[in-house]
Amino acid sequence: MTAVLLAVALILAGGGAALLLRRHPRLADPVYSALLLSGSTLGVSSAIAVLRGGPARLAILPGSLPGGPWVFGLDPLSAWFLLVVLGVGACAGVFGTGYLAPERRHRSVAGTHALFALLLVALTGVVTARAMVPFLAAWELMALSAYFLVMFDHEQAEVRRAGLIYIVLTHVSTLALVGMFAALGAESGGRSFAEPGMGAQPAGNARTLVLIFALLGFGLKAGAVPLHFWLPGAHAAAPSHVSAVLSGVMLKAGIYGLLRVLWLLGPPPAWFGWTLFLLGLLSGVLGVLWALAQHDLKRLLAYHSVENIGIILLGMGTGALGLTYGRPTLSVLGFAGALLHTLNHALFKSLLFLGAGSVLRATGTRVIDRLGGLARQLPWTALAFGVGSVAIVGLPPLNGFVSEWVVFQALLSAGGSHDAVRFVIVGAAGLGLIGGLALACFTKVDAAVFLGQYRSARSGLVAPADPVATMLAPMLLLAGACIGIGLMPSLVLGPAQLLAMSVAHLPGEGTGSYGNLGEAAAMISALGLGLVAVLAAALLLRRSLAADAGRRLAGTWSCAGAAATSRMQYTASSYAAPLLSAFGPLAGVRREREGMAFHSHVADPVQDVVVEPFWRALEQTGARLRAVHGGRLRWYLLSVIFTLLALLFYLTRAGSLP
Amino acid sequence: MTLGPLLALIVVLAVAPALPGIATRTRAFFTGRRGAPVLQLYRDLAKLGRKGVVYSRTTTPVFRAGPIVVVASVLVAGALLPLNGHGALLSFSGDLVAFTGLLGLGRFALVLAGLDTGSSFEGMGASREVTISAFAEPALFLCFTVLVLATGELSLAGMLGERLAAVWPVAAPSLALAAAALFMLALAETSRVPVDDPATHLELTMIHEVIVLDHSGPELAFILFGNAVKLALFGALVVSVLVPLGGLQPLLAVPVLVGGLVLVAIGVGIVEASMARLRMNRVPQFLVAAGALAVFGVILLLR
Amino acid sequence: MSGLHELLLLCVVLTNFWVLGTTRLSSTIRATAIQGALLAALPVTLHPGWSLHLVALAAGTFLVKAVVLPSFLFWAIREAAVRREIEPLIGFSASLALGAVAVALSFGIAQRIPLPEPGSTLLIPVALSTVMVGLLVLTTRNKALSQVVGYLVLENGIYVFGLSQAERVPFLVELGVLLDIFVGIFIMGIVVFHINRAFDSLDSTRLSELKD
Repeated sequence: MTAVLLAVALILAGGGAALLLRRHPRLADPVYSALLLSGSTLGVSSAIAVLRGGPARLAILPGSLPGGPWVFGLDPLSAWFLLVVLGVGACAGVFGTGYLAPERRHRSVAGTHALFALLLVALTGVVTARAMVPFLAAWELMALSAYFLVMFDHEQAEVRRAGLIYIVLTHVSTLALVGMFAALGAESGGRSFAEPGMGAQPAGNARTLVLIFALLGFGLKAGAVPLHFWLPGAHAAAPSHVSAVLSGVMLKAGIYGLLRVLWLLGPPPAWFGWTLFLLGLLSGVLGVLWALAQHDLKRLLAYHSVENIGIILLGMGTGALGLTYGRPTLSVLGFAGALLHTLNHALFKSLLFLGAGSVLRATGTRVIDRLGGLARQLPWTALAFGVGSVAIVGLPPLNGFVSEWVVFQALLSAGGSHDAVRFVIVGAAGLGLIGGLALACFTKVDAAVFLGQYRSARSGLVAPADPVATMLAPMLLLAGACIGIGLMPSLVLGPAQLLAMSVAHLPGEGTGSYGNLGEAAAMISALGLGLVAVLAAALLLRRSLAADAGRRLAGTWSCAGAAATSRMQYTASSYAAPLLSAFGPLAGVRREREGMAFHSHVADPVQDVVVEPFWRALEQTGARLRAVHGGRLRWYLLSVIFTLLALLFYLTRAGSLP
Repeated sequence: MTLGPLLALIVVLAVAPALPGIATRTRAFFTGRRGAPVLQLYRDLAKLGRKGVVYSRTTTPVFRAGPIVVVASVLVAGALLPLNGHGALLSFSGDLVAFTGLLGLGRFALVLAGLDTGSSFEGMGASREVTISAFAEPALFLCFTVLVLATGELSLAGMLGERLAAVWPVAAPSLALAAAALFMLALAETSRVPVDDPATHLELTMIHEVIVLDHSGPELAFILFGNAVKLALFGALVVSVLVPLGGLQPLLAVPVLVGGLVLVAIGVGIVEASMARLRMNRVPQFLVAAGALAVFGVILLLR
Repeated sequence: MSGLHELLLLCVVLTNFWVLGTTRLSSTIRATAIQGALLAALPVTLHPGWSLHLVALAAGTFLVKAVVLPSFLFWAIREAAVRREIEPLIGFSASLALGAVAVALSFGIAQRIPLPEPGSTLLIPVALSTVMVGLLVLTTRNKALSQVVGYLVLENGIYVFGLSQAERVPFLVELGVLLDIFVGIFIMGIVVFHINRAFDSLDSTRLSELKD
């Protein structure tokens, strides 16, 4: 635990250094990066030590702090999320130095770096805090530092609006969590997150309340549909390296919270598991469908986070149902799938956001339909982004496949039961649909951004090119991690399974008894390596065949018409149109025709159809009620008297004073 | 143990290019024409292998990687199927996810290779291809769900192996429904009528054919071979659901499988001869119908 | 899961999907004709042994549901020159998916309904799902003739339901067949009086185009 405290101190020092050295940019960036990296390495290594079976640790901050002792701890569950926070955080932070460097010309970026360090520290606090007050303090610090980071481009109205929606909803989440802790019981002495049985176990209604508040508070933070609508705006508005952390890591704070509550309370009632499962299905399918409709690269990626949270929730819901119905194998597979996908999503989503960031830096636009053909100018970015997109679609041999495979196994193995839990198997078809739609979505992005010809007329830009090494290295590192986990899943499958067993409170005898993930891991490695071998063989065959007859270059075949120009290319919107129109109004696409041109707008069905009309109606009701406020004192007094009388009447009817 | 599946895979790969020929020939027969020889695809492949390649100036290495990934992914997917009914080359719990994932990888590469040319014909074909596959994917998983529920096995080798023969008497209706749905999916996934028409000559109406317009020489051969193998793999799925190969001797299973594949190809030809192609916006409905059949099968088993 | 009647019942559900998934009216009529034939065969397979009553019932059902009404409907679409359902309220894919949901629901509900001895475990769920599909077609299709087909499917569901209770309530099935007379009158109405009133809230523009 001391190591983690030291890591936090180093990261904070990095933030401080960025502020202190803001007049010396040449010095500031390396110092900041170095401190961030060393702190993260320290934190990650202690997390790995715990995950490999080292002792769980607890630490109590000295001094008298409000709200009882501030307990922090590092058990395997915390360690897993700490790994995600600091591993991805460090990559994104280093990327951020290069990414923000051009901004130095017209504003100071030191504050942003410091806030970023603060966000990482807050996230570390969230995943390690073991008592109510420090947890909520870290949670609030996380929310606020993220808010200020989102507001980086605050001169744009769109960004301010996204920030406003975010800050309001994140406080709804905090409020729900306060309610949750209240229901968890004050008698646990404020150490309510410490360990099961430490405080009084809430029962009956209190337990139900805890679960409802947890679902609301953590579900909102995770961005599950229908509580997702704050997410795309905020994640698209933030600077790209911040988006990477927001989407890849901060959403997982919600996942962490839900798992922690499940760990704390033991087998939940059936409705809780089913709610998680259905939320997962809903978020997964709708998230990817709405992502497909987007025109903005970063909004698209943000909606994909909703989808991936859906996959995680599918796994977690299955795990919770396994607990409820007493099927340990199901629990282990479900939780292991959720945990693995948490890690994998953090890796490939941050990679994709960083890739989007370097595209944005190179071209100045996030609008997909204005890009194209960048693979030639930005080959390394294209390669890294391509790896990320294969991973996120869940295709072998990369890491996304590994975690989706575990979730699939959880869903499919539910079928052998005779309880209601067997209906979980239907989720497999839902996950299949998610995969199919994700494939459509990422072929759209990859092709429209990196392949074909550049779409917009040459604006004033100089030729776009791959970014500087400080931006490229983190991307390649993340891509390497995606490939590594994909080819060697045994690296993560074992720890994830052990961790899932500890979340489900199963004795850690051997992992073999709960779904043989370990054995299959070797087969997945074999599959991946086999695929690589067959690919190599096919490559050699083509080489030898093509070498005989030679090759030449020509224009793209345009069916005997004129040579294709970039304006004739299929646009990303047309590419997605048939699939979206098959889903009708669910996809939220609106078409308008102006003269000879078609436009399509993407609305978020939840935000634009439910939330905003609701607020407008509320506002109108308020405006109507304003007439009551005549400003005359006697009316107010009269209303007070009437209220009093009404209350007294009620009390007489009720029989006795409470 | 692994020798049998390997030999079976080699036999299936060798037979695969004949299947589109059989389908086309059947179609020609039922429409009163003679049609191309059954072995035409072998000749085409040999001819294309000797030719040079032409690349579009717009393309990047993605275009050249496409055909290789297509062919490699279907070959590895084939290694997951228990083609002689007694085990597969590679088998693990949940490998059906790897099977669909590999087919998805091939499609991903094919579509990107098409889009790399910047041609709007290829963009259109790619868009249709992913639309169809997005609807085919859940239906395929529903078919697998039927098999998982019927046999209680999570690996392809298990669910299509000995267990299947044992559960046929109990789960016959569901399995038959799954086989029917798989056949419909085979038509969609390998671009046959009523979803796509391999004989069409107008670029605007093509789906699979138009994505590969710019491919030539050995690379086109790879793609054609990959598609034929895909048809064989889906055919093998249909056959091994209907005739549980696990119940037969391994030596007998392979000839039965090949015979079944020929019958499937004839079935494809008959469908092509008797049906018109569906309008593009009605294709999802065809796949939803396949899914509905499989859902019905699932319901009967969950009851 | 064995026995001829179970196979027949499964085929009934498949014809339901067929009705839901096709646009062409002639195809939906063919589906209902096949469904009628399946229903006619059901009583014979459900009750072992031959009796005159049973054979008469089967023959009558076959005549009405598989021959008379479908040919009547075919005549009607020729007369009215309607060939396909163009814009249903709910798309075909969606209604197929809803149909699958309806089947799932009816299997779920059927287990909870306390009904005595249905004769086969499949009878009640198939009856329920057929009724639901009939209602779905009846409410979401715009063409009057599609709605007649929907009504026919609905009534076939009631017939299956009647079969399940035939032991306790004799003549329920026969009454069900009699219901078909209404269908005949419906069709006559559509053709002869060009249906202007009963359905005009649904698609009056199209109905007014019907020819003499």
